[in-house]
Amino acid sequence: MNANNMARTVVADREEIVEGPNPLGLEGIEFIEYATSKPQALGQVLETMGFRPVARHRSREVLLYRQGDINIIVNAHSSGTALTEKPVIAAIALRVRDAGAAYRRALERGAWAVPVHVEVMELNIPAVHGVGTSRIYFVDRHKEFSIYDVDFTPIPTVDQRPPAIAGLHFFGIVQYIGNDRTEDWTEFYSALFGFSALPPEERFGILPKGRILRSPCNSFYLQLIEPEPGVLDVEDDECLQRMGLGTPDVQATVAQLRQRGVEFVASKGAQLDSRGALT
Amino acid sequence: MSQFEGNIDDFGMDTISLAGPLKGKLDAIRDAGFSQVMLLARDLVQHPNGWQAAVQEVKDSGLRVTGFQVLRDFEGLSGHLHEYKIDIAKSMLEMCSALGCGVMLACSSTSTHATGETSALVRDLRKLAMLAIPMNIKIAFEALSWGRTINEFPQAWDIISQADMPNLGLGFDSFHLFATKTPLDELEMLDPDKIFLVQLADFMWNEIKTVEERISTARTFRVFPGEGVHSEALAELTLKLHQMGYRGDYSFEVFNDDYQQMPLATVAQRARRSALWLGEGVLRRSVPLPNQMRLRR
Repeated sequence: MNANNMARTVVADREEIVEGPNPLGLEGIEFIEYATSKPQALGQVLETMGFRPVARHRSREVLLYRQGDINIIVNAHSSGTALTEKPVIAAIALRVRDAGAAYRRALERGAWAVPVHVEVMELNIPAVHGVGTSRIYFVDRHKEFSIYDVDFTPIPTVDQRPPAIAGLHFFGIVQYIGNDRTEDWTEFYSALFGFSALPPEERFGILPKGRILRSPCNSFYLQLIEPEPGVLDVEDDECLQRMGLGTPDVQATVAQLRQRGVEFVASKGAQLDSRGALT
Repeated sequence: MSQFEGNIDDFGMDTISLAGPLKGKLDAIRDAGFSQVMLLARDLVQHPNGWQAAVQEVKDSGLRVTGFQVLRDFEGLSGHLHEYKIDIAKSMLEMCSALGCGVMLACSSTSTHATGETSALVRDLRKLAMLAIPMNIKIAFEALSWGRTINEFPQAWDIISQADMPNLGLGFDSFHLFATKTPLDELEMLDPDKIFLVQLADFMWNEIKTVEERISTARTFRVFPGEGVHSEALAELTLKLHQMGYRGDYSFEVFNDDYQQMPLATVAQRARRSALWLGEGVLRRSVPLPNQMRLRR
């Protein structure tokens, strides 16, 4: 007990190093995973948007779609829970400096670990529970080699690096939350991952409501949206609702995608293309 | 029970006041006109058909679950003891979530193995609250009057304020407040939105001198508000909380060995009398209109 106290005093005497603004060394989104029982329907939508199926998972019914730097995984492998026809965002993978360290840091602060089910010779990607049934993966070494080389077999004859249409890139994710839950989720993303809330006057996006959190690497955003006033009892429906893609020139991109057969949801004052209506 | 007999919607019973299996307790509480119940983890795990069956029984009863109790001796531990308590906390949160209950009660540590260092207490409570965020559960932290480091609510409030988590707030038990004779003026510094639960109980003596006596009274001989010698103080407390803007639930935290050997309906009627006294006599709640929508706050 005494020795313990001594040790503590010694530690306390040292200068405290304040944690940096990007504690995990976050560098954007590695992939977003959709789960659906109709993978081909979703795949078709993705293809009209310019994605290409580039690889297939070694042991499960999972496809990797890609364009530019955007990776989307379509998972039709039901493990225990029944998949719905409507695609849902099942996971986000964050690029971090050190996946193990990021994972341990999150657990240390009260995240729930996701038990991993890896087959032999597959990567053990650490994950914590996010909103609803979704998971948040930590991926490192994304520069040196591709995580997909291990778990996926490339589809022959397909260009493994299809270029992005009109410079499309990940821009944000919209999360629907329950009543009075904005503060809870803001705390969750800021304490565990280093996100920070934008002041209300600095807002953008096609839906001017909710709260926007900026990633510590400044490369993407999370938008938290509470239900409309008057809608009660929706706590069970918290989920990652849709993803938003960014482009340098919205009008040109829209025109290009229209040509490819993408139907846009008409709405007034749309500034950024955020097509979550993937159904 | 007709709604015209009085408004006791703000008050709920605690299963610890009643003897026997869960189903009988739920029936007695509902039959006495209550709309909510405070549950113990033991109520679920003792169920002969497993805890999921107990959850279903609670849901079928139509009673709203005021809160789920109690996580003990959580904060201030280190190493394997801390890891162990985290597992216990997770397990309780899972049961709480399955009940659709939004508040879990944690009471201050009595463990001699726990440190009293503020920074460690703050860190652990932050972690507990973080675990509860994805499940939409609020943590009500209560100062046990025989807690080792935290034994009065102003100390608990201090830790809660430092932890600064949106879903970490105060659980308030009138028994402990009266036992330690904490002045009511201290309530002034609380943020009413951060009081997540108020538990009320009375007892039969004016003063509790020793800690041992405090523990044995707390665990065996509490009575419903209005039945003991602290009725006036309880009335003052609830009025004060109301004036401050507290609009949350009140639960009767009445441990009593005698009630454990009385018919459930008799005990529930005593609780009802107590709720009517507080609801009608003290807080003067108006009778709800037919089909009135109940707001969340």
